[in-house]
Amino acid sequence: MHIPDNYLSPSTCAALGAAMVPAWTVSIRKLKKEVTRAKMPLLGIGASFSFLMMMFNIPLPGGTTGHAVGGTLLAILLGPYAACISVSVALLIQALFFGDGGLLSFGANCFNMAFVLPFVGYFLYKFIKDRVGGEKGEYAGIIVGSYVGINAAALCAAIEFGIQPLLFKNAAGQALYCPYPLSVSVPAMMIPHLAVAGIVEAVFTVAVFTFIKKVSPGTLYEGEKQKSKAVYGLLAALICLTPLGLLATGTAWGEWGADEIQNVAAGGGKPLGFVPEGMLHGIHFEAAMPDYSIAGLPPYAAYILSAVAGVAILLILFKIFRSIKSKNKGMQ
Amino acid sequence: MIELSDVSYSYEGTAALRNVSLRIEKGESVALMGMNGSGKSTLLKLINGILFPDSGVYRFCGEEITHKKMQDPLFSKRFHQRIGFVFQNADTQLFCADVYDEIAFGPRQMGLEESETEKRVEDCLSLLSIEALRHRQPYHLSGGEKRKVAIASVLALNPEVLVFDEPLVGLDPRAQRWFVSFLMKLHAAGKTLIVSTHNLEMVQEIAGRAILFDENHTIAADRPAESLLEDVDLLIQTNLVDEYYHHHPGAGHQHFHIHPF
Amino acid sequence: MPEWLLKEEQYEPLSDRDSFLDKSILSLLGILSRIRAQSGIRTGKYAVHAAFKVACTFLLIVLLSLSKNLFFILTVNVALLAAISLLSADKILRILKAGFVAALFTLVILLPSAFWGNRYGIVMIPLKVFAAVSAVNILSRTTEWRDVTGALKSFFLPDIFIFVLDITIRYIFMLGEFSLPLLYALRLRSVGKNNRKYASLSGVAGTMFIKSKEMAEEMNAAMECRGFTGDYRKSSRIRMNWTDSGYLLIHMLLLLLFLYLG
Repeated sequence: MHIPDNYLSPSTCAALGAAMVPAWTVSIRKLKKEVTRAKMPLLGIGASFSFLMMMFNIPLPGGTTGHAVGGTLLAILLGPYAACISVSVALLIQALFFGDGGLLSFGANCFNMAFVLPFVGYFLYKFIKDRVGGEKGEYAGIIVGSYVGINAAALCAAIEFGIQPLLFKNAAGQALYCPYPLSVSVPAMMIPHLAVAGIVEAVFTVAVFTFIKKVSPGTLYEGEKQKSKAVYGLLAALICLTPLGLLATGTAWGEWGADEIQNVAAGGGKPLGFVPEGMLHGIHFEAAMPDYSIAGLPPYAAYILSAVAGVAILLILFKIFRSIKSKNKGMQ
Repeated sequence: MIELSDVSYSYEGTAALRNVSLRIEKGESVALMGMNGSGKSTLLKLINGILFPDSGVYRFCGEEITHKKMQDPLFSKRFHQRIGFVFQNADTQLFCADVYDEIAFGPRQMGLEESETEKRVEDCLSLLSIEALRHRQPYHLSGGEKRKVAIASVLALNPEVLVFDEPLVGLDPRAQRWFVSFLMKLHAAGKTLIVSTHNLEMVQEIAGRAILFDENHTIAADRPAESLLEDVDLLIQTNLVDEYYHHHPGAGHQHFHIHPF
Repeated sequence: MPEWLLKEEQYEPLSDRDSFLDKSILSLLGILSRIRAQSGIRTGKYAVHAAFKVACTFLLIVLLSLSKNLFFILTVNVALLAAISLLSADKILRILKAGFVAALFTLVILLPSAFWGNRYGIVMIPLKVFAAVSAVNILSRTTEWRDVTGALKSFFLPDIFIFVLDITIRYIFMLGEFSLPLLYALRLRSVGKNNRKYASLSGVAGTMFIKSKEMAEEMNAAMECRGFTGDYRKSSRIRMNWTDSGYLLIHMLLLLLFLYLG
């Protein structure tokens, strides 16, 4: 679910990043109340746990494997506020150092996986646990919370993808970022998550929780019984406000006319108008130019560019070739 | 049974083993000695099929152990059943929620009847005198208890070869004594033992043969334990002991005294 | 000695699907060796200051994301290729692999959209992805990570946040080293059919969590003993040298090109 860069427009990323600011602020303020300031290392260690949990490959039916996100688990273990910060830090490290998820889309990834996932998961868990009570309620809460949590996060990602073609187009009406409308992105994201990833997440969450509860029940997080209403409010407000922010920062409202929605919705059914034309002409560089507004540049610019590219590629090939050769020598 | 010829291994450019060749026959008991970082642990991982040689060949019962062969699940399972590995840090070896499950893990995997599994677990518990820990959580046990549970969990697989990495580290003197005699029992029962250790007193008690690693990750000596322990110059040269070291030939007892200079 | 222990085991294993263990071990090993590799990066005399690298990489990614011009995207790609070509062969391979995998994945994802006429995205987005992934990889493979986190201070991030980032990286390594043997132990004892894979795996994850809590408490205690009260100050001073200026100049040129081409 890690969204890379260039799938979302920078303004979407900025809007979601801005939406995270209050979530982070509230989380840190809450944490300061819950743990003393000197207990900051706990966050780093929670983050590293969250990071490593995503490294665990989990067996899926059919012999394949997948990995859990563990957002709800972390929220149940450390509390939702610590989970929010911990997952955010883990995501930042993944984006910055491991190339998992983009730098610009960091805000969006945090919104989905560090905010929506742990908070939805945790409050559902809490809600069911407090209402049903007993061990049954606890486990029902974990299952529902983790299943719904990850699916809510996936839905947010799907919506973020799906609004891109509505909002961001070039003059020729071509999508600048993710080209798939909601009618494609939602089922594409949701079907695998509802059918597989959600179940994996739930089973894994239950299994790890059971283990920890059995071995070391004292380490579990004790949330307060009440006062969660404010958080529900925050959650609802953010979820309502974010799409507005996205729209406002996107193209103007007016452009998003009814006919456009129709167009998008009918997206899949559009006849293959463009493609045959392109195929007839073959792959022709100049023919492609107008689309990318490359025309009008002096011809030497392209020459210089390809010369530099040529030298760089030659150097790279040479170095790789030499290293393979020296490795072979080392073997003998 | 175990045969390494000209095996080398390095961790991202840093050599850990250089051109190591050795043979260990069935029923032998062998001690690996050498200063910290001389390659003992790497060798044990190699023997257990966790790492694979960069160059050279490792054979187990005549069969070459390669990364490719270990990709075959049936082959690797059969192999892991025949050779058991007790890690240096028992903390990192126990992953079940209680001691009983921990020991039963292997037999259950092997598809033994539940009654047979229970018998094995009980036997292992009494063999290591940890019956009282049956329902405790491994995570909260003391260091010595954890070590015993780790040993029991490996023993329950009934492997032919048992590999111990620094089994005495962190044990109190009494537990160390107990452990030495336990190893002797295992050896008497026909198990092949490979033990890495810094405890020179233990070497001559449990091992017929001692292999000494050099600082530069090669084998400095491979001979009967007794004669190696007497070669003080060699032990000093490989930085295992300093000049104050001395050896009591035939000392089968723990002794305690002070030598002024 | 019980009798079964004296007998040689006659055992033929049953087959089971447990590639998830090897995969987990591999991904954990990958993380560990990645963290190990970055700590030894030589920062010679000609190294560009990490703060400039972080800022310029971020700028580049923003420009890439905003640009609608193929020539600009190509220029950035070529500039990055030129930068990559200056590195050592093993780094080249790793960076290119990451870039190509990401770009190819994007291309595959976008392919269906080509059928309803998405000619723009199918060319532009994979190229942008390749450039963005390469840029981040160049940063993370040529800079020590603590320099990168330290550089974040220049962008007015609070010290305590940088502190949390630093200990996170350290604990990813320590916890990783702790749980790797757990996975090995699970694999060594997986000699047959495991009907409770989730229970075993969650044992590893659960043990890791309890261990991490313990480590956190120990670290707190140790830090309080050394007078830590929650404030964390990191000093950093930036001195420009020739390489820094050259590096900044290249990015200024790219920025100008972006402004010119759009």
